Amino acid sequence: MASRKALAVAAAVASSMSLVACGGGGNEESGGTSSSGGPVTMTFWHNATTGPGKAFWDKTVADFQTANPNVTIEAQSIQNEELDGKLQTALNSGSAPDIFFQRGGGKMAAMVEAGQVKDITDAITPETKQALGEAALASAQIEGKTYSVPVSILPGGLWYSKDLFKKAGVDATPTTMDELNAAVTKLKDTGAAPIALGAKDAWPAAHWYYFFALRSCSKATLDAAAADKNFSDPCWTKAGEDLKAFADTKPFNEGFLTTSAQQGAGSSAGLLANHKASMELMGAWNPGVIASLTPDTKPLPDLGFFPFPAVPGGQGDPAAIMGGTDGYSCSADAPPQCSDFLNFILTKDVQEGYYKGFQALPVNKEAQGVVKEDYLKAVLDAYNAAPYVSLWLDTIYGQNVGNALNVGVVNLLAGKGDVAGIIEAVNAAAAKG
Amino acid sequence: MSSNFGAETLAVAENAPGNRPGTGGGAQAPPPSRSRPGIGWRQRLEIALLSGPAIIMFLAFVIFPVLMAAYYGFYRWKGFGPPTNFVGLQNYVTILQDSLFQEALWHNAVIVVLSLVFQGPIAIGFALLLNQKVRGQSLIRVLIFVPYVIAEVIVGTGWSLMLQTNGAVNAVLRSIGLGALTSDWLANPDLAIWTLMLILTWKYVGFAVILFLAGMQNIPEELSEAAAVDGASYWQTQWRITLPLLGPTIRIWAFLSIIGALQLFDLVYIIWGQYVSSTAGVSTMATYMVTEGRNAGNYGYGNAVAVVLFLISMVIALVYQRFVLRRDTQGALGGR
Amino acid sequence: MAAIAESTSGPVTASAPPRGKPRKDSGRGSPVVYFAALVLIALMLGPVLYIITGGFRTNSQITSNPAALPNPWVFANYTEVLTSSTFWRQVGNSTISALATTIAVVVLGVMASYVLARYQFRGRGAMYALFAAGLMFPITVAITPLYILVKNLGLVNTLPGIILPQIAFALPTTIIILVPFLQAIPKELEEAAAIDRCSRLGFFWRMVLPLSVPGVITTGILAFIGAWNSYLLPLFILNDQDTFTLPLGVQAFASQYSVDTAKVLAFTSLSMIPALVFFSLFERRIVGGLTGAVKG
Repeated sequence: MASRKALAVAAAVASSMSLVACGGGGNEESGGTSSSGGPVTMTFWHNATTGPGKAFWDKTVADFQTANPNVTIEAQSIQNEELDGKLQTALNSGSAPDIFFQRGGGKMAAMVEAGQVKDITDAITPETKQALGEAALASAQIEGKTYSVPVSILPGGLWYSKDLFKKAGVDATPTTMDELNAAVTKLKDTGAAPIALGAKDAWPAAHWYYFFALRSCSKATLDAAAADKNFSDPCWTKAGEDLKAFADTKPFNEGFLTTSAQQGAGSSAGLLANHKASMELMGAWNPGVIASLTPDTKPLPDLGFFPFPAVPGGQGDPAAIMGGTDGYSCSADAPPQCSDFLNFILTKDVQEGYYKGFQALPVNKEAQGVVKEDYLKAVLDAYNAAPYVSLWLDTIYGQNVGNALNVGVVNLLAGKGDVAGIIEAVNAAAAKG
Repeated sequence: MSSNFGAETLAVAENAPGNRPGTGGGAQAPPPSRSRPGIGWRQRLEIALLSGPAIIMFLAFVIFPVLMAAYYGFYRWKGFGPPTNFVGLQNYVTILQDSLFQEALWHNAVIVVLSLVFQGPIAIGFALLLNQKVRGQSLIRVLIFVPYVIAEVIVGTGWSLMLQTNGAVNAVLRSIGLGALTSDWLANPDLAIWTLMLILTWKYVGFAVILFLAGMQNIPEELSEAAAVDGASYWQTQWRITLPLLGPTIRIWAFLSIIGALQLFDLVYIIWGQYVSSTAGVSTMATYMVTEGRNAGNYGYGNAVAVVLFLISMVIALVYQRFVLRRDTQGALGGR
Repeated sequence: MAAIAESTSGPVTASAPPRGKPRKDSGRGSPVVYFAALVLIALMLGPVLYIITGGFRTNSQITSNPAALPNPWVFANYTEVLTSSTFWRQVGNSTISALATTIAVVVLGVMASYVLARYQFRGRGAMYALFAAGLMFPITVAITPLYILVKNLGLVNTLPGIILPQIAFALPTTIIILVPFLQAIPKELEEAAAIDRCSRLGFFWRMVLPLSVPGVITTGILAFIGAWNSYLLPLFILNDQDTFTLPLGVQAFASQYSVDTAKVLAFTSLSMIPALVFFSLFERRIVGGLTGAVKG
């Protein structure tokens, strides 16, 4: 279920929501022609392995096949944590799936460099462009060419249980670190862990570091680091120190080192779903994941959302948000029907289905009208109010450096490494690949 | 541990009964194919036909990839297209200087030593106890061997479910009043390595017991009977006679154990996953190879790690063979 | 197993039954022996039984009382797995992979071992050393270039893509075990065959093969178990869920249904069964084979 982190965002830079003109998408109407004659089979890899999300994809594929009788799509659901490795193997071995889940950022850039992704700039229909808007599309482009389509907006923030907050006497959602620390202290008395953390998968722990870095580093520094993997700016160290100070208050659940993010009732999402933890810092796919892990597998009724608080002393904007979009790409050798499918999944009806299946914000503006949960609306508000949006750092930096960064953060939280260790790990990784 | 068996030297194999020059009783054989100097073309053909397929498979799928690993190890390479960024020995330098690798190496060393220390005495003890005629001996042997037969993946999955904080192990401890001992078996960096050793011992001690039992079968009755006649107690007999004669078997088992411990991958990867094994203090050279190589997209680097792993195994194997196994082959080398 | 010729055991056909079980007086520490055996068996089987019985419970049973017996016994998990096509497909894949590997390894191994055991030629030492050195290359070492090789052969995502490497990697063990077995066949037999105008190949066919059956079975079983349990190689080579073997299937199932611990336990224990059944059928041969190999 639930997609993982953002993707399809400009690789060159932490994508910015502001007025960067999107380098004009292709204009002529090239519309997928399904008239290449003869039956076409495509393979499709997505990461929804359970519940309504998987059912959504099954239905969408069936609907597309009905509308395009000579096309067959074989869908495979791959566990999110396995996806990157398997995809890389498949892409490198020439047995790539035709349509696949795309995280964007440096990961997409690596694929583009290897010539493994199809340039679909000209295949996006004008209806799609209009429904998505310039900014969303820009997030899927590298140097003006479109290599994927976003399907949902998934910024990150703190998901919390309103009931547990009330029980602990936390009346307002925290807007500063001090308020968050105060809330943590009160929440410890409820018997549930204040914050759930799925450090076994490494990236959930790293998300904390990313957000501290977002607050601590200016946008320019973030962009520069993305460009040449240079982390010498002191803001990176400050982010680590902020994180360490926060972690020293012991806000996380016990045994977070072997808690996974999304797998099972013992995962961090599961803890939140079963009221064993009060908060989780996570991307906006979390409601869907949580819904599959509640005792009755229905959405958690008291779920709420608030953006990451402001951190004193940083150069980043306190309203900046991190996250982006999940998307899908076509492999370089995919048949033209691939882009037909991509356009199809962005239509209003399918996007509404996406929202229902994943409890996540669809990227299609027309479909956003059906969103009724207040936590999703809160996400949308935070997203729209943000001066800039950064992609997840490990996606920006690519698999090699990204993995090392994530593990470095885990070491810090486990007490095994220190703040400098994070930077060292990143630099060491750069030397290996 | 993979199910690799001992690398016995050719010398020993040559001197197994039946092949010692001069022991082949009977008349000097007429067929010229038996004469040592020069072999006929027909023999050559037979040799080629019989051993050819095996050699081809082996060269193609084992030797060739290993050579390629060495080759790729000299490059920085992302895995697609041909490698172009030649860096010579740089990857190897990076490996040896990387603290993550050094930790993994250390973990491997600990696992090697602890495997021997834990499994050896326990297995010998049980083998000595079980080497007596008891009813159901066959059934006992089957049941002891069961963990060895089960895949490491399955062992890992099952055990990690049992070792969760709210899992069966802690629950049993609580129910028998040892609640104070409940811990985070998997995540605590101080405990994790011991947990790993526990699971490894569980899986492989049965194999050791069976091996030792098999070795004991070869010790003739007469010796222990003679000792009994001389008034030796059961345990004295075991200590003075059985154990020393079990020496060669023990040494072979130790060799297998060492090589297996150096190559350990499946269990650690399944239980701790690809990210936290080093944080938990249980990473091995093999998990390091997969994490820093394939999973990070650094294929050249990963291959270099593989070569390092191979060289370390090779050196240890050769040293072991030279100094430890040599004793066993010494006696047998008699009529060379 | 390596052939360690101990100074006290002579050639195979000589002397008193070398394989006798020690005839101790029964009653000699028997209770102690039984107790020790019981302890050992309990330790070995405890976790296995936990996994098996866990499948008969529901999740809430497990969460509330992690280490108890099923109450009530729930069969739904097992029946669900047993009726799922995925499980049987994976069993099928594993079976094909393991059987093909075993047959090929045994055939190739016996042929090569025969050459090494009974022919004298220059380069014999080198050939033996070649295979022995293969033990130093675990699949972990060769996996990345092996994957590239398999990819270049176009065998990624196919069962032959894992079968061929498995055969190659199982050869060293097989040959090392079989060579002493084949060497132990007395020269007299060979000479007798020669006198009867039996060619070397005929000798191979008619006498060696039947006599080497114990060794062949041992190595066959080891090859089968190794191939059945293999994880790393399929992990790299098989991407498509349809081609998964059982170890991969267990992991995929465990992560997909990790919500449902009981179901995972049911799947896991069903995956153990083929290997256990196979092993119990051939248990005597395995131990017998190991005995013979250690004995030389």
